[in-house]
Parts: sequence; C-alpha cells; structure tokens
Amino acid sequence: MFKMLNPKRFYYAVGRKKFLEFILLAVFILFFYGPLMNMLMLAFANEYTVPHVLPEVWGLKWWGYVFGQKSLVSSIIQSFTVAVITTVISMIFCIPAAYSIARFKYPGRKIFMLSFLLTNAFPKLGIYTSIAVLFYKYGLMGTYPGVIIIHMINSMMFMVWLPSSAFRSVHRQQEEAARDVGAGPIRTFFKVTLPMAMPGISVATLYTFLGSMEEAQGTMLVGLANIKTMPVAMYGIVLDSSAVQIGAVFAILLIIPSALMIFLMRKYIGPEAIAGGFKMK
Amino acid sequence: MSKKLKTNLAAYGMVLPAFMVVMLTVTYPIISAVIQSFKDEKTGSFTFSNYTYFFTEPAQLKNLLYTLMVVFLTVFIAIFVAYLLALYLRFVKSKIAKTIGTLYLLPRFVPAMCAVYAMITIIRDSGLIHRIGALFGLDITLGLMYHASGIIIMNLWFNIPFAAMMITAGLGAIPDSIIEGARDVGAGRWKTFTSMILPLSVKDVVIASTFVFMTNVGSFTTPYLMGGNAPKMLGIALFDQFNKYLAYNRSAALSVIMFLICSVSAGVYIYTNLKEQDWEK
Repeated sequence: MFKMLNPKRFYYAVGRKKFLEFILLAVFILFFYGPLMNMLMLAFANEYTVPHVLPEVWGLKWWGYVFGQKSLVSSIIQSFTVAVITTVISMIFCIPAAYSIARFKYPGRKIFMLSFLLTNAFPKLGIYTSIAVLFYKYGLMGTYPGVIIIHMINSMMFMVWLPSSAFRSVHRQQEEAARDVGAGPIRTFFKVTLPMAMPGISVATLYTFLGSMEEAQGTMLVGLANIKTMPVAMYGIVLDSSAVQIGAVFAILLIIPSALMIFLMRKYIGPEAIAGGFKMK
Repeated sequence: MSKKLKTNLAAYGMVLPAFMVVMLTVTYPIISAVIQSFKDEKTGSFTFSNYTYFFTEPAQLKNLLYTLMVVFLTVFIAIFVAYLLALYLRFVKSKIAKTIGTLYLLPRFVPAMCAVYAMITIIRDSGLIHRIGALFGLDITLGLMYHASGIIIMNLWFNIPFAAMMITAGLGAIPDSIIEGARDVGAGRWKTFTSMILPLSVKDVVIASTFVFMTNVGSFTTPYLMGGNAPKMLGIALFDQFNKYLAYNRSAALSVIMFLICSVSAGVYIYTNLKEQDWEK
C-alpha cells in the first residue's frame, strides 16, 4: 500500500491517463474544498498560533463563545423568518407567471420573460441603492417588508425561468389525456403538470431560500441596524474579530442550512436543472 | 366571451402580478436613479457634474479601470478553465470524472461570505500556506490579501464551477451520434473539436461569459472582505458614496455608469438567447 505514495511508482502502476486524472482531482479538491476543510478544522481549534499547521489544542471553546452571544440567536431567527417569508411570497408571484409563459402564446410573452432578466442583469448594489432612496421616501428602510422586497428581487429570475422551463418539458399530450378522462383544468394542473414539473420548481425554491439566507449586501444597506440576519452579523465578525476561530464557527453555522437542503434535494440537482435558470427559450 | 380571449385573459392574469413586482422594484427605481443622477446635490437643477466627477477625479477613474481589469481577467480565466473542465466532464467517463461532476455543483450553494472567509484563512499572510511553508523552512508571504490577485482568485472559485456547469449542460445536449459521425468520415480529434463541438457550444460559452461579467461588475462581498483601500472595486466605491458620504446623486450616477457597462453584456446575452440557431427552428 505504502508503495503507492511514491509518485513515480504510482505513475507506472496506474498509467499516464489515470495519473493525470488523479492530479486533476487533487488540484480540484485542494482549490475548491481545501479552504472549506481548513475552516472546518479551525472551528474546532482552541489554540492556533502562527507557526503551527494543525491546532495545538482542539475543542469546542469558540462554539461556546459564539452561542454565548445574545445577538447570534436573534440573527438566526431573523434569517429564517426572512428566508421563509421571501420564499413563500416569491412562489405565489412567480409560479403562475412561469406557467403562463410556458404554456400560453400571447403577444408580449417574450417581453415579460425578458423583464425578469432585469433583476439579474444589472449590478445588484446599483439596484439596491436606487431602491433605498425610494425606501427612505416611503418609510421602508429598516423594516421587514423592505428587506423581503430586496431578497425577492434577487431570486425572481430563477423563480420564473426555472419552473417555466420545467413546465415546458411536460408534454401537452399528458395533460390532454387527463382532460380526456374527465379531469378539470385545475385538477389536471395539480395531479399531472405540477408533479412532473416538481424537480425544476424544487431547485428554484431551494435557490430562493438559500439566496435569501446568504444575502448580505442588500440587507446591510436596507435593514440598517434593525435587521441583522446571520450574513450581516458575519460581516462584522470577519472585519473586527480578534480570533479567526469565531468567524470559522459562524461560517459553519451559516453553511448548515445549505448543506441540509442540498442533501434533501440531491436527486434534483444537476447541471441541466440549474442551467435552465439562465436560459430563455 | 370567446374561448381564445378567455385563455389570453387567464394568461395575462397569471403573469402580470410578477411583472408588476419587477416594474415597481427594479424598473421604477432605475428610472428614478437616472433622473436623480442628472440633478445637482444642493439646488436640484440639471447638471452633468455627477458623471464628470467619476471620469475626472483620478481616484475614481482608477477604480473604474481597476474594476474592468479584474472583471475581464476573471471572465477570461474562468471561461477558459471552465471550458476545459466541461470538455473533460463531457467526454471522459471515469469514476474520477463522475466525482468531479458531483463536487463541482456544490460551491454554487456555499454562502458567498463563508467561501471568502475560508479562502482568507488559507491565503492571508499568517494563513495555511504560510504555515506549511514554515514547516519546510520557507518564508512564504503571498501578499494576496488586499490585492487584485486575491479578488481574482476568489472570483475564479465562484465562477469556474458556474461557467463549467453552463457549458457542460450545453455540451451534454450535443448527441454522441454527431461526434461519431464526424469521426467516421475521417475527422481527427482537433478537427472534430473545431468544426463540430466548438460551434455547437459557442452559444453556452457566450451566455456563461456574459453572466460572469454581469455578476462581477457589481461584486461586493469579495472586495469588501478581501480588497484594499485604493483602488477599489466599483461596488465598494458605490457603497461608500451611498453609506459613508450620503452623496445620493453621485451614487445614482455611479449606479447608472455600472448599469451601462452591464447593459452591453446584457445585450449580447439577450441576443444570443433569442437568436434561434438554424437547426433549432
């Protein structure tokens, strides 16, 4: 087994092609997952001074510290409240629009479709500052509705385009077959069309929820000091924390919801499903 | 009421609420920002000075050029690497390719801030790379923090998986039979690539690069946590104008400048998306 640790022996054992593939895999994992792994390690390091690569003392000291902060619990609650409300409201607005764009042909359809690109085609911060000026006028700064509007803008494009391409991939004949055996339009939608379009809708919902959980710049700008979601709290921690471990613990708390959602929806997540959200057809 | 009219009404009824949300939360603020950008801060009279400020003040002009440099480098490197990765994922069927094919989807779901923080723990001057170097008696000071190359590395972390995903989805749509057909009539690997694969995937490459461009022009989190004080990325410059100096008219002008930069890219994006290829008609 240990013979394999010698690169030369390894090269001759597996052949050139395999060898290059292993190098690719190693570089890929080091670049994309190395930082995250290092952060995970730091979160469990009680002591971590400069020349040491591995922590000198392992432990949960900094978890205790982070959970001792009152502001943390409130930021978790605020994050979840905002994310759930944002997701539900976007679904109410966007899913019917997606269905309409996918299934009907009417004048102006392409224009409606394009209008949702606006939410993603321009620099977010430019849109946020423009909105913030109006929010000051209408007293929405530092309120939940204001923050939720910001979060909705973020995800509207996916929430329309992804379900729309999912609806389009449901064959019309299947709907017609249901109608032929006597199902009404509403029943057909809920029993046939919706279940078949579910993968696309799930990925879009996941995107909206996670997007809202991690949105920071807009929340910071519009929420003022009243609404501090987890990412906003994280900005403060990163910029003025004395110990690198605090940030690591907090970042892991922030990743947990994503990890959980991805695990639950792993069936649906694939390049084709996600790419559908970036293309109009 | 005729049936046609009825379905059309239903279709409009479903799409209009979402459309109105976009109009109210994106289009209206952008229009009012454009109007505001031509107004004088104090008197409210018509002026170009908000714009000339960003093109004549040396510090601001530097920010603009700096942002363009970072964004173009990001787009070129990300798309190049992503294309190679996508080709590998499409045409190599091995266990390692499958593993990478799953792993590269996940960075998309990691909250931006966590990823940036994780990267900081590696590349900062007392970070992991420095410590590993010290093990071998080397003094590695990368100097990536507060420097353009740090921002670009982070941008690559975010955008390579995204671009590779878009391109893989496109390459996946090319049937094996087309490629085999080309090989059968005697085309070599390179010829097959330049005459079949490249032309068929160019649309996805353009879509991916325009999207990478648009999202990076206004990027905020990465430069906020990793960038230096001068020159700044435009997103940070805008945040400062708005939040620090409370210069709303100037920040409106800067937003419009950023919108204009992006609209070039958005135009290409829309054109590519709407142009149906001959064989798709």
